[in-house]
Amino acid sequence: MSELAEAPVGEVVFPGQTLCKLPSSGQLRLGPGLQTQAETVCTIKSGILHKTKTGKLWVEGRQKRYIPAVEESVIGIITQKYGENFDVDIGGPFTATLPVLAFEGATRRNRPNLQVGDLVYARVTAAERDLDPVLACTDAQGKSSGFGQLKEGSLITSNTHYARRLLSRPPCPVLAALEKHLKQYEVAVGLNGKIWVNSPSIARTVIACNAIQRAEFMSSAQTELLVSKLVDVAQS
Amino acid sequence: MRSSTRPKLWQLYGPRPSDRKTSFSEQGRLQCDVKLATFATRQRGKSFAQSADERNTSATVQAALEAAVQRHTFPKANVDVYCLILESGGADAAIAITAASLAIADAGIEMYDLVSACSVSRVGGQLLLDPTSDESHHEDAAVLMAMMPSVNLVTQLVMTGEWSNSSSKEALELCMGGCAQIDSVVRQCLQQAAVSS
Repeated sequence: MSELAEAPVGEVVFPGQTLCKLPSSGQLRLGPGLQTQAETVCTIKSGILHKTKTGKLWVEGRQKRYIPAVEESVIGIITQKYGENFDVDIGGPFTATLPVLAFEGATRRNRPNLQVGDLVYARVTAAERDLDPVLACTDAQGKSSGFGQLKEGSLITSNTHYARRLLSRPPCPVLAALEKHLKQYEVAVGLNGKIWVNSPSIARTVIACNAIQRAEFMSSAQTELLVSKLVDVAQS
Repeated sequence: MRSSTRPKLWQLYGPRPSDRKTSFSEQGRLQCDVKLATFATRQRGKSFAQSADERNTSATVQAALEAAVQRHTFPKANVDVYCLILESGGADAAIAITAASLAIADAGIEMYDLVSACSVSRVGGQLLLDPTSDESHHEDAAVLMAMMPSVNLVTQLVMTGEWSNSSSKEALELCMGGCAQIDSVVRQCLQQAAVSS
């Protein structure tokens, strides 16, 4: 593999591909999917090479399995209820643990009323490679700020790449189109590829779910058309 | 994944937690299971259990891939790869290895490099690269080689039959050439899959 002076940002890369030499001076920050080998940077995942504004290189592919990382927001499904914590399925290699006290205003006497099968929007607080990930339904200051149980609504499972796109700024075309045509709905996106949609009526929820699922590979113009058609069909 | 006329169906699960019965391991476990569909061979096969041949092929595929996958990134977890061969040809194990590494790379599991595999059959003194089922049926000797082309490392080498020094050297070189060609096709596939999404 030829070594390039500049890493091919925006190109598809494969495992084992040598990207560039390590700079002789200064820092080069490497994110997921990259490793250093001797004096060069090489990829260990297949996907597209990205570069953040701060100059960090990373590789992202369309994967369905979520590898937990600290400070990421995820949507989990409660699978077991113990005395001190909940077992939550976040679509990762291991089931995550959510302590009963990791909710705003929770005490030993005042526990959250969550049952098996409930959805929670939580933040990953610990994600060691060989331990179960730990979640919390509060932000760093102890306030709930959007975390907690997600009541009613519908859950869509997608891949982590699409979830990241939905959370990016400027807003994804499908969310902008839904805001324009559908108006009353709420959506929570977990970086583990799970998307929760809710709205006052079932028809709206179904439209939103359909739109989000089908718009993954569409351009903005196609998305706009799709959403307006879905809303028209529902109203007729 | 299709290789000319030999389609295969691949499923990859994981990394997911190991069974409670399995002991603790610092490195993740990679498990490969290759199965021939009943309609895959000329004679109808039995579908309910893996035959000895299929178990052999599974072990070969697993050994070829273990070196390429970064198993230390998923300790205590399992990655299970299942392959269903819809139409059996001559070099089933070689195609299985290449397709498995494609599936693992596509799923986003961290690897040192893609693995491509190739086999050579010796039929009546002639070396045939990537034999068909008829050719491999009449072979005197065979070589199966799986390698990681970018880092130039061989992950699996199976030689059956009698090989002299010179003919084995020729066969191995043929295999390496074949692997390099397969590798470029595999990369094209991954690129198309990434770009079309």
